[in-house]
Amino acid sequence: MAPHVRRNDAGLRPVEPLPVIPLGTDGASLGRALLGHADAAYAYALRLTRKPSDAEDLVQESFTRALGSAAGFRGGNLKAWLFQIVRNTYIDLHHRGAGRAQAELLELADDTPLFQDDIELDRLRRAVAQDIEAALRDLSEEARSIILFDLEGFTETEVATLMGCAVGTVKSRLARARALLRGKLQDYMR
Amino acid sequence: MDCRDARPLLGAHAADRLEPVRAGEVAAHLHACADCRRLLAAEDALNGALSQLPRPPAPARLTARLESLVAAAERPAPARRERPRLAIWLAPFVSACAAAALVVVVTRPPAPAGAGALVNEAVNDHLRVVTSTHPIEIESGGIHQVKPWFTGKLEFAPRVTFSGDDEFPLVGGSLGYFVDRKAAVFQFKRRLHTITLLVFPAGGLGWPGGATTRVGRLEISETSSRGFSVLLWRDEGLGYALVSDVNVHDLELLAGKINQM
Repeated sequence: MAPHVRRNDAGLRPVEPLPVIPLGTDGASLGRALLGHADAAYAYALRLTRKPSDAEDLVQESFTRALGSAAGFRGGNLKAWLFQIVRNTYIDLHHRGAGRAQAELLELADDTPLFQDDIELDRLRRAVAQDIEAALRDLSEEARSIILFDLEGFTETEVATLMGCAVGTVKSRLARARALLRGKLQDYMR
Repeated sequence: MDCRDARPLLGAHAADRLEPVRAGEVAAHLHACADCRRLLAAEDALNGALSQLPRPPAPARLTARLESLVAAAERPAPARRERPRLAIWLAPFVSACAAAALVVVVTRPPAPAGAGALVNEAVNDHLRVVTSTHPIEIESGGIHQVKPWFTGKLEFAPRVTFSGDDEFPLVGGSLGYFVDRKAAVFQFKRRLHTITLLVFPAGGLGWPGGATTRVGRLEISETSSRGFSVLLWRDEGLGYALVSDVNVHDLELLAGKINQM
């Protein structure tokens, strides 16, 4: 069987292969496989909730939902499926009503701002982890999520599913979110 | 390729994630466009910043709870515990009058000898509740829905006078089994945490014989197992098991509310 190749729809070259869980996996096998993504889910949850205890609650609730709906897993990238449950659970429990407004924010993007001078660029290059964490915290949930999903190496199709948007809009939304992050980073380091 | 085509790809280009043909197109555009070259430098710097993001691992206590959830999902239900065909849910029950609140003072001795079986059963039942596809058949919608529902389904009347509040909302209830007998199962919430209360006939079980703490007229035994806290007590022939991963002080607070008579 040919190895699974993850190819982005927009001409991106294959990224790190992820294990694919076949359709029909029973709940027990699925649960064990989910445990392998617990750290990644927690890191994502922590950046959503910004509070360790809330992140733990969110991951546990997400696992509960995932295990309870194992039959609903249609095969494919289990990690992306788990991240979708984490995000949906977060929106359900913490952010109901705000998601739509944030989505509109990214949809409105029609141009990507440029940096004005080399000083700003130098400042960006000097950013450390603490700076980027702070800048991420200032972003909307949607902008934060799409950047983090991209960092996880999810394909555009997977990101579109995760974000509930059309595949064709992922690139522009991601570019807009990254532009917002750069702006926040500049503000934070100024 | 113009700026509008190139700019959404610059992040991937900076991360060297474009396929060769598309990367060549972007490179050709960059050669002729100073603005996009500047944006590429910014994207490159941003990728450098993002690469520094730490990935904190899940805390050990969370991992232990997740493993318990998965273990419960793997474990087939015991034959005697055939899935409650009548998995019906009661809603809030008992309004009962609130009387003098009992002050719950619970110490934390090591698990008393002989308590292991009941503690394991309580944790397993809690895990079945939280991993069930249909943990609640009938949601709690009002205190007048509950008691009538139990009639004829249990050989006993569960005495629970607490119908939930803002701190511990009552989510619902159902029929379940505890060891070899039917039990009333109530599900409360504490923020996002699920708390399971089991009420069942107390006779014939190996109750903890170790240290207990006087709580009003009751004796409560507290133990922990697999990352969950378990409070056990008996009252007028009925047994009570309260299980959750919430902070133990929260569980004690709920036990106090449940014990109000």
